[in-house]
Amino acid sequence: MQYSQVDAEARAIGRKFDLVVLLSTFLVLIAGFHVHQMLVAGDWSFWVDWKDRNWWPIVAPILEITFPAATQAVLWTKFRMPIGATFCCLGLLFGEWMNRYINFYGWTHYPLNMVFPETFIPAAVVLDIVLMLTGNWVVTALVGGELWGWLFYPTNWVMIAPYHLPVEYQGALMSLADVINYMYVRTSTPEYLRIVETGTMRSFAGGVTGVAAFFSAFVSVCMYVPWWLMGAYFFGSTKFFKTYEATPVEARQH
Amino acid sequence: MAQTQTTATAVARPPITAFSWKSAGIAIGALVVFDVLINVYERLYAFSKGLDYTSADYESYWMGMLFAELVLEAVTAAGLWGWLWMTRDRALDRLSPAEELKRYWALGLFVLTYTYAAYAGASYFTEQDGTWHQTVIRDTDFTPSHVIEFYQSYPIYIIFGVGSLVYAMTRLPQFAKAFSLPYVILVGSPAMIFPNVGLNEFGHTRWFMEELFVAPLHWGFVTFGWGALAILGTWLQICPRVLSLINHIYYGKPIQSPAEVMKNPQSSVDPAACAACAL
Repeated sequence: MQYSQVDAEARAIGRKFDLVVLLSTFLVLIAGFHVHQMLVAGDWSFWVDWKDRNWWPIVAPILEITFPAATQAVLWTKFRMPIGATFCCLGLLFGEWMNRYINFYGWTHYPLNMVFPETFIPAAVVLDIVLMLTGNWVVTALVGGELWGWLFYPTNWVMIAPYHLPVEYQGALMSLADVINYMYVRTSTPEYLRIVETGTMRSFAGGVTGVAAFFSAFVSVCMYVPWWLMGAYFFGSTKFFKTYEATPVEARQH
Repeated sequence: MAQTQTTATAVARPPITAFSWKSAGIAIGALVVFDVLINVYERLYAFSKGLDYTSADYESYWMGMLFAELVLEAVTAAGLWGWLWMTRDRALDRLSPAEELKRYWALGLFVLTYTYAAYAGASYFTEQDGTWHQTVIRDTDFTPSHVIEFYQSYPIYIIFGVGSLVYAMTRLPQFAKAFSLPYVILVGSPAMIFPNVGLNEFGHTRWFMEELFVAPLHWGFVTFGWGALAILGTWLQICPRVLSLINHIYYGKPIQSPAEVMKNPQSSVDPAACAACAL
């Protein structure tokens, strides 16, 4: 009986520490991943007219495989938890929706179908599964990274498709997303058509999305490797540096 | 089972009530309530009083708030960090295992509160700033959303982050005589987002008035945000010691003394040492 009580107490305390670790890691990864995402690919995430078929499938995946790779490096190698990518992307989606709903929709009154975020959860689940099945981060980079880039556009297509329908507006051909863009004033938002989708991007018809996804997958593989290494050897480092006072006198003299 | 033979130990156990969520609940609850109230204030007065920097209303509703919060933050930071330092434990080498475990719990709750504050600042209020900027024209660096995001939500998480680090350095043997690389990154890197505001504001004032969120001018924030990942290394340092303490207190297994940990903190995160006392 005595043993049971002690054991139960020890396990209860252990579980509490587990919860603190999980919750704090989740919250701070939302903070870091979201600030990273919104300032390297955020404009594509904020507005439906930016969610195009050329640049969005390139920019978003290659810049957002970063945190999942680094988190996988620690959660898999140290804890055998194949959830690093999904954990990060769930946090990112939570952070994005909190602001889209409360502020973009609730404060500045843009319709939600203009400001909904992209999702990386399907691609993240695949990335985690590849790591779990192969147990090898290099294979995960090569196979999972390719799939990460390839899967982004198809897994978001259900949400995007209606806004890519072509419409004629004041004699010009544009997408429904473009028309929504013209209907809602965004005083300080740079117009997507002016700064990004220029020249042949609009007129080079046919097959560009496949090429974009192919390119995106290639760069995603390349991005996965340094971010895994940074996760494993820098952010997941357990290094201590001694203070000057704690350093032995002999060592200070050299 | 072998464990049943180690039932009775001479090590004092901390009361189970010492591992309460209460302090974190109060701190995070207070922060949530505060954040909600700030959002209400912003909804009431950002568009109505915050669009003309030269107006008297702007001065009283927004600049007054800015000066008040800066003073409060400086006083709070000095008070909290100073109190933690002045009440530091000067006999850490004689710390009992039960007390050390309780302090790790307190540190966990401190870090949890920091991470909530970091979420509110770096995620919620930062994207809220995007909502504001892409909607209205910028006419001052101290626009309403900046008064809340840059000068309020960022200092709040810095206060908690640095506070947790000072707590660890003044009350736990593992952090008393050495700097933890991941912990310093976890606190220092997001903290640098605040000074980076200087670059951001200068850039927006001098050459870039519109708000393209992915502009290179913003990438300083991005780089410092990466430091959040260092929570992984921080927990990898803390967890083995906590596990050793639990094993020692509740199962009577051997453990490194606080003096040994202070002398060589790296040994307390040695996977082999950890495995030797695993549950």
